Amino acid sequence: MAIIPGVTDLTRPYWENARAGRLVTQRCRNCGRIWHPPLPACPHCHGTDIGWHEVSGAGTVYTYTVVRHATHAALADRVPYVIAIVELAEGPRLVTGIAGCAPEDVRAGMAVRACFREVAEGVTLPYFEPAD
Amino acid sequence: MIRRQVAIVGIGQTAYGKALPATAWELAVEAVTRALADAGIDPADVDGMCRFAAPFEPVSEPMLVRALGVGELTFFAQAPLGGEALGAVVAHGAAAIMAGLARVVVVYRALSQSTGGRFGRADRGGPGGPAAADPAADIVVPEEENRSFAWPYGLMSPGQLFALWARRYASVHGLSDEDLTRALGTIALTQRRYAHDNPAAMMRDRKLDWDTYRRARMISEPLRLFDLCLENDGACAYVLTSASVARGLRDDPVYVLSATQTLSPYREPMGIYTDDLIELFSPATAERLFVEAGVTRDDIDVAELYDATSFMTLRSLESYGFAAQGQAWRHVIDAGTGLDSPLPVNTHGGHLSEAYLHGMNGVLEAVRQLRGTACSQVADAAVALVGAPAGSAMILAR
Repeated sequence: MAIIPGVTDLTRPYWENARAGRLVTQRCRNCGRIWHPPLPACPHCHGTDIGWHEVSGAGTVYTYTVVRHATHAALADRVPYVIAIVELAEGPRLVTGIAGCAPEDVRAGMAVRACFREVAEGVTLPYFEPAD
Repeated sequence: MIRRQVAIVGIGQTAYGKALPATAWELAVEAVTRALADAGIDPADVDGMCRFAAPFEPVSEPMLVRALGVGELTFFAQAPLGGEALGAVVAHGAAAIMAGLARVVVVYRALSQSTGGRFGRADRGGPGGPAAADPAADIVVPEEENRSFAWPYGLMSPGQLFALWARRYASVHGLSDEDLTRALGTIALTQRRYAHDNPAAMMRDRKLDWDTYRRARMISEPLRLFDLCLENDGACAYVLTSASVARGLRDDPVYVLSATQTLSPYREPMGIYTDDLIELFSPATAERLFVEAGVTRDDIDVAELYDATSFMTLRSLESYGFAAQGQAWRHVIDAGTGLDSPLPVNTHGGHLSEAYLHGMNGVLEAVRQLRGTACSQVADAAVALVGAPAGSAMILAR
């Protein structure tokens, strides 16, 4: 069994873009600022004309943990796994996982780039992997 | 300002245990009855209640009012966000008393993690929500407070988030794994020693030495088993009233000097997207707590700091200004948090070794310290701080 995001009107573009291999954030069409996770209005200029913006996918590991104890039956065969907060080159941070290297090789400050994992049929999550 | 206009006149608690035979309702009634008896107040005279908001608190006001035979509640309020209700329930209760909305306010918290939600098990009614009915079915995470952006990655339990905080702290301040282990282990071992002297503590008879601490399994690196709090059943309650009523009831009321709650964008309890992940509230908030109380940090004789993990005790020493930013780990290693340290902390054993009561058992311990009746008594304790990691806190004085 997979743990998959419930989708709302507000978050649908994020997950649809992820399925197409694109990492996006919301962007205010009025002031141009971007943020994550999604909000119903721009927290900077209070504009409500909000679009979506593809980011580069480049980022760094802001912090991480190697989880060794499953706290949900659905995670029993996943441990050990890495939860990371990645800071995008464009600024916003997101919760993600690290692919492409052993859990013990993850470091804070490590350069990473977005990759995509289909975790269930039609459901893709952005992950990150070492940049080099 | 609350400053000495409101006092705690009664405290009550149940036994704490991994799986008590009583329901949360029974536990709540027992703790409140004891608190009222300690205060010398008839349950019929209670006219106010404050509690932690659902889904955390399982016992509603009507359940308690019926069982206690309360005359009429004229004020009842709930504070949200789990442990961040800690200072808020005092602030709300005090405000109600000062505004004349109520005269006697009961604050309570009952937990039955053995039958209700276990905080450390997302699939057993914990914050992670119910298990899927069909074990083979996918679990769809509802988009509520951005959970759908976190839980699919396996970030489903508080301990994992606190591990992210602890790792961030270590990397920002240049701690080696050994530095962090020594600091967190000192807190865990010190609190366990306090528990040995506390008959109510679940870990009273369970020795914890450095070897056992270090060898314990990692739950979420860098946090080991003994860095995380207990999961248990039990209840705590206390009674607030005005200073003038309090003085007529007992010689040793414990006065509320100040109480705070705080929320600003992303500076949230269990915050993930905070600008600075480990700064869950601004230094100005801590300042407000002291200024409104009319005391300085040097006046604080004992602190009860909400410790869902040992890291929270460490970080709260900085957040509340008892140690410089990035220096609490050194302070803990060098000076400790024991009775012989500059600031004894979690003198009942805390959530790590007494029991987990969402910070409420820390309030009760602060009251005992200020009455001079604590098991590990700080000599001549006059002023105490009780604080949660995201800035909901109180300063109490005798």
